[in-house]
Amino acid sequence: MGDLERSVGRLLSLGTAVSVGLLAVGVGLMLLAGQSPLDPSYPPLDLARLPADLVGGRPGGFLWLGLVAAMATPAARVVASLIGYLQAREWGMVAIALAVLGVIGASIVVGGALEG
Amino acid sequence: MVAGGAAAGLFGALLGLGGGILIVPLLTLGFGLSVREAVGVSLVCVIVTSSAAASVYLERHVANLRLGMTLELFTAIGAFAGGLIAFLVEERVVAGLFTALLVYTAWSMARPRSVPADDPVVAGDALEHGSFRASLNGADYVVRRLPAGIVGSLGAGVVAALLGVGGGLVKVPVMHLFMGVPLRVATATSNLMIGITATAGAVVYLARGGIDPYVAGPTAIGVFLGAALGSRAAHRIDVRTLRLLFVLVLGYTAIQMGRRVIGV
Repeated sequence: MGDLERSVGRLLSLGTAVSVGLLAVGVGLMLLAGQSPLDPSYPPLDLARLPADLVGGRPGGFLWLGLVAAMATPAARVVASLIGYLQAREWGMVAIALAVLGVIGASIVVGGALEG
Repeated sequence: MVAGGAAAGLFGALLGLGGGILIVPLLTLGFGLSVREAVGVSLVCVIVTSSAAASVYLERHVANLRLGMTLELFTAIGAFAGGLIAFLVEERVVAGLFTALLVYTAWSMARPRSVPADDPVVAGDALEHGSFRASLNGADYVVRRLPAGIVGSLGAGVVAALLGVGGGLVKVPVMHLFMGVPLRVATATSNLMIGITATAGAVVYLARGGIDPYVAGPTAIGVFLGAALGSRAAHRIDVRTLRLLFVLVLGYTAIQMGRRVIGV
């Protein structure tokens, strides 16, 4: 299982680098655009609009993608662990990993249902 | 905002805390955000710092991945509940609870650190080999009182999502003092768990429009840079002096937050 821990550690490093990189680009674009962090009218997260915001170099697109990447990184760590435990046939840990992903899924579903 | 986040990350890394305990007061008292908005941003920041630190702890085999995943199931359930509770209670209640957390943190950092863990139990003494419980043990310690850890994890998760902190102040003592996990492993494993805990709470804030990307971006970058600097500078700084300074900062912050709660 030492290999699994190393792989999961590397995945976390990669996720952190990607999310911090995207956030840094977003902050840089904010500075260039003279956008104040305290502007009360911030863009909502709209996944359908994200590609256009990224192509258009709008700071909101990079910031939202960075934030989503940051939140997805720990979940990706659980998925990687799940695969490792499946290969090792550690059924107890497989059940735990699935339950953790289930709680995250429930947070998304219930949070979305309560939106607004 | 980047500088404030960097200061929070630097302090957190030097003293072994997540930056959340300082990010929320920074954003509420310093930048005029509501406590709920500040908590949403703080959760994102602690995810970033947790992922960065946990990657190192895992590659060095300090964190216990099996124990962390088992307990984080319950911190995540607690955080899910905490995220929902945060939108049901009045803002002043959350600010009051945060003030209590600041006082508790200042007190726990000011008191002497001489509390010993329970008698150590070496691996192989207690549990039958091959069981799920036995698989949670480390190379040189046995994990005990799992139910106590589960209850503590649920509580830590609620606190984390409600107040925007990592919850290490609850998890580390529970793992170390009740479950017999060595302090270094408990700290590393707590850090690993923060990512999923904070994500379960942050997703609720995100879905309810409680995360401002223009605030979260600069703050997260600052916290990340401060934490990276702090982890490199930790061995060169007199931590006792820093601890005293931190206690004073927490005390001052608690007074300011308390004044906000009672409307003075």
